[in-house]
Amino acid sequence: MDDTASPRVRFTRAGFLAGARVMGPMMPGMCLFGLAFGAAAAQKGFSALEVALSSGLVFAGLAQMVALEGWTNDWTPGGLLALGFLTFTVNTRHLLMAASMRPWLGQLPGWQAYPTLFFLADNNWAATMRYHTKGGRDVGYFVGSGAFTWLMWVLSSAAGQVLGGGLPDPKAVAIDLVVPAFFIAMLVPNWRGRREFVGWGVAAAVSVAASFLVPGWWFIFIGAVAGAVAGGFVDE
Amino acid sequence: MNSVDAGTLAGIAVMAVTTLFNRTAGFVLMRFVPLTPRVRRILECLPGAVLIAIIAPAAAHGDLAMILGLAAALLAAKFLKSDFFAVLAAVVVGATVRYFGY
Repeated sequence: MDDTASPRVRFTRAGFLAGARVMGPMMPGMCLFGLAFGAAAAQKGFSALEVALSSGLVFAGLAQMVALEGWTNDWTPGGLLALGFLTFTVNTRHLLMAASMRPWLGQLPGWQAYPTLFFLADNNWAATMRYHTKGGRDVGYFVGSGAFTWLMWVLSSAAGQVLGGGLPDPKAVAIDLVVPAFFIAMLVPNWRGRREFVGWGVAAAVSVAASFLVPGWWFIFIGAVAGAVAGGFVDE
Repeated sequence: MNSVDAGTLAGIAVMAVTTLFNRTAGFVLMRFVPLTPRVRRILECLPGAVLIAIIAPAAAHGDLAMILGLAAALLAAKFLKSDFFAVLAAVVVGATVRYFGY
């Protein structure tokens, strides 16, 4: 899809609302994950306000959850450095997600493009990429889906801190399947042929191999780069 | 109850700055990479590759519920063309399989 051709990059209220609406199927699962994060953070001594601050400023559920393991309120400089590194490795996929938006968002002036990137999160990015593949160019779609996700994430995680325990076991109600299932729904219409066969196949093989061989969270980054490069060398 | 502890705030601040870096650095870097047709094709393949690199290891390390649930999501997404039913199918199948102890 050529980004320099019409329709032009724009930002409309209709796009914003359409973006918010597409996140609907994700919301019950995401709010349950938020509740679970809030309850787990309460165990680590977070107040409701601190949970809301974490969710509002960090806005990266997986990294927030992973960081809780070693959380303390008595950080050493070395501890903070390790926390930053952990956050970085868990979120390396965001480097790639932002890079993939360059041909499109890069047409906006920096003062518009950079604030927009604050709303980069897995689910709304995945939905926006499907929208973009179908020819959509309204940046409102990305911001709307991101802002709605942000609001629900902050509210549900703060509510989880207040409610504490007594929530259903996330695993028993299969909450861990919500995100990958949503991703599959975002992927299916993007299947076009040989390039996807090669790119996705390489991404799957390399990421699975790396998940067994490389410690930590690098498998996403490694698998995605390998798959994109392989797919990019399939010429039509 | 709604106090903010300085230590906790320091941890949150470090994470906030790091995630901001993660969200913008790839975009900044691509400013200096010429968008040749080859680079464009790689960037076009990137979204699918990122999603696959998240889904495939989750399935590979997952239990039977994960695998059957994601298979149900794939069928629902392909034939019903509905995001809602894809997520619902995965959760219903996954929770059912786990309820029966697999």
